[in-house]
Amino acid sequence: MSTITIALPSKGRMKDDASAIFERAGLPIVAVGNDRSYRGRVEGHDDIEIAFLSASEIARELGHGSVDFGVTGEDLVREGLVDADRRVEIVARLGFGHADVVVAVPEIWLDVETMADLGDVAADFRSRHGRRLQIATKYWRLTQQHFSGSHGIQLYRIVESLGATEGAPAAGQADIIVDITSTGSTLKANHLKILSDGVILKSQACLVRARKAEHEANPRVAEIVEAVRKVF
Amino acid sequence: MPLINMPEFSDRLLDEFSGRGAVRIDTPVIQPAAPFLDMAGEDLRRRIFLTESERGESLCLRPEFTIPVCLRHIESATGTPRRYGYLGEVFRQRRDGDNEFYQAGIEDLGERDVAKADARAINDAVQIIAALLPGRALSVTLGDQTVFEAVVRSLGLPLGWQKRLIQGFGNTALLKQLLLTLASPQPVSGLSPDLLALLKQDEAALIAHIDRTMQETGYSTNASRSPREIAARMKEKLALAETRLDGAALLLLSEFLSLELPLTEAAAALAGFADAAGLALGPALSDFEKRVEALAELGIDLSRITYRAAFGRPLDYYTGLVFEVTQKGDDAVLVGGGRFDRLLTLLGAREDIPAVGFSLWLDRIEKARSR
Repeated sequence: MSTITIALPSKGRMKDDASAIFERAGLPIVAVGNDRSYRGRVEGHDDIEIAFLSASEIARELGHGSVDFGVTGEDLVREGLVDADRRVEIVARLGFGHADVVVAVPEIWLDVETMADLGDVAADFRSRHGRRLQIATKYWRLTQQHFSGSHGIQLYRIVESLGATEGAPAAGQADIIVDITSTGSTLKANHLKILSDGVILKSQACLVRARKAEHEANPRVAEIVEAVRKVF
Repeated sequence: MPLINMPEFSDRLLDEFSGRGAVRIDTPVIQPAAPFLDMAGEDLRRRIFLTESERGESLCLRPEFTIPVCLRHIESATGTPRRYGYLGEVFRQRRDGDNEFYQAGIEDLGERDVAKADARAINDAVQIIAALLPGRALSVTLGDQTVFEAVVRSLGLPLGWQKRLIQGFGNTALLKQLLLTLASPQPVSGLSPDLLALLKQDEAALIAHIDRTMQETGYSTNASRSPREIAARMKEKLALAETRLDGAALLLLSEFLSLELPLTEAAAALAGFADAAGLALGPALSDFEKRVEALAELGIDLSRITYRAAFGRPLDYYTGLVFEVTQKGDDAVLVGGGRFDRLLTLLGAREDIPAVGFSLWLDRIEKARSR
């Protein structure tokens, strides 16, 4: 039977929390070689291999099907993969790494509370300011789905922002942002507010399975799914 | 399998174009991406092939011809009126069909006689398709943004609501949702009682308050929206919140949007609708009639054209006519066209240049020919 590869976050709390879940699922993970090695295995299961990768790479590898399972944020899965639900299955939500992907605007935009308000502002933006409304984000797919798909807002431009996105409006790089937040304190500190219908995705760390045909005949796959689900 | 991708009827098409007074125009395949994303919206981003120049400028493979042709026209400053004919490959990620395919079409820039130019665009498109698909029954669907705008304006809604509805035109789901919202009042939320009082009584104080807060939070240096703009929209929003479209007006709007009839009867039906509803549609209606007359003069069979009141494209540069040609009983659009009077100034033209044009989907026409 072929080896099953599980990709886990390679560092930080995500790594520790993921390992703890597998431990509780009866699949204790040990690093191969030293602690900092990027390969691991599951004690007592020689046919399972652990690859420690960065969280966004895990989403990508799941999409390619080059790993069988992965632990990563739902935000990265939905942002990174076209037709995510067709390509991967969210096996279990793991109860850590909570973060919401939200639409946030300057607090002082007293007239903007909802996406409909934002739609009004966006529609007028060009004639008032000579350019489209700009959104700083690294989540351009989720932004599009929320703006165009769910709210019929077409007239805006995405400004790619890879870090410190909350600072973009004050710095004049963009008018509003779509970003991830867990407590909202960074948004508050930067005088931004979340729109009432501006939560695009409530994300947390998930065990995700790449949808591969050969999984159906492999009892080990079903075993892993069941073992992790049992923890919750 | 043919070894040449170019449709075998390309030469014929080019002859058709020049016979109709269109000058052949070519544009670079590699285009700056910004104009497309600015005009068509970010939705386009996942459907175009984007790349970057060494200096970080965003570039894309030409996803369509209208914007490149208009940019070329502005650049070359050749004067108007002018008809351009193009034929070449465009590049788009599509769910069905290839990612690179041929498009051809005519853009008619600067013709001031709008009715005549509209009629000519429809007539050209229909005649060209008829020549390429001899003996096939075609159906033409026509819509008109201006008529919808006139209906919305004459209903006496606050400006904010007018804008929302007009923006939603062509997007049936969004429009339906808007009509539902209009039927029930929308309270303004998220405002403290103090601010609400300021808003109702003392706009100057409200502006000062917003200005002060911006200063204090270090936001004012780069603020895109001014205190005045925010205060003005708060007022507009308050007006929206207090508006509730009465049942009769809502019914009228729905009734209008459900109109679908042969063009022979459309002008009379619109006039009848406006009379019965007590709406003054003004020039929108007479312009509609003029276009129908111009079409009749060109000898086109009006009973083959269907006017559908809800047909439009939800992009802000489309201004009047939209039309589509399909084979009867088939959904595949063979030609799409429309009027885009706002596009050239948005792209940087200094004067207003009225524009109308159409684009032929050559791969779909080819498929239809082989059946």
